[in-house]
Amino acid sequence: MDIGAPLRIIEIEPVSLPLPETLPEPERIPDTEPAEPG
Amino acid sequence: MGTIPAPLETFSASATDPILAWRTWTLAGSRDLGEVRLLPIAGDGKPWPVRDPARAACRRPPRHHIVPGFGCRCGLHATRAPAPLRRTRDPAVLGTVALWGRVVEHEHGYRGEFGYPQRLRLACYLCFWQWGVPGACEVVARRFGGRMVPLCGPHSELSLRYGFRVGRLLPAHHVEQALLSTYAVDVLRSVVPQR
Repeated sequence: MDIGAPLRIIEIEPVSLPLPETLPEPERIPDTEPAEPG
Repeated sequence: MGTIPAPLETFSASATDPILAWRTWTLAGSRDLGEVRLLPIAGDGKPWPVRDPARAACRRPPRHHIVPGFGCRCGLHATRAPAPLRRTRDPAVLGTVALWGRVVEHEHGYRGEFGYPQRLRLACYLCFWQWGVPGACEVVARRFGGRMVPLCGPHSELSLRYGFRVGRLLPAHHVEQALLSTYAVDVLRSVVPQR
């Protein structure tokens, strides 16, 4: 794969091993039935 | 007397957040899926470590140079966008990767000293090559030696029709789950097709 010409060097010192992104919280499902109309 | 140009390596910066970039891998695994590993498309062919960072190495001269060298090709390669990865040879997995340590930034990507996958998904290499999307893989052909080739439904049918030696067919969902579980990462949910 061609990534082109080198531009610069970046020194990155993370605090710890980068953990994978966490999944977003699932949407809450209402635990009560909606009220009957009328 | 002419002036001596400053070495390019002086153009440097420091940061604390890893760089997130795109990458493809090949895949190998045992029959029972007890061992599933990412392997680089090119290079030394060593599997990426599980729950430990991959570390770049280089055998090109000069010996013992800093890796990745600014003027070398060494390092863990990744791209800014997924589109250029369509040209990689027979990718089996597409995903994002965190890079850190010494990172050489390029016009279209990076070469990193350390890396660990972040989000992964199986890729039908024919769909990815043709349309720039990894495809909805249905089966994984496990070939001799343990190499795994994920395929979507239409391309697996086509492969069988034209005599591609698929070896043992495994359900793609099981292989993907084994891969995600092995590396303790989440699935890559969407890839925007790019030309």
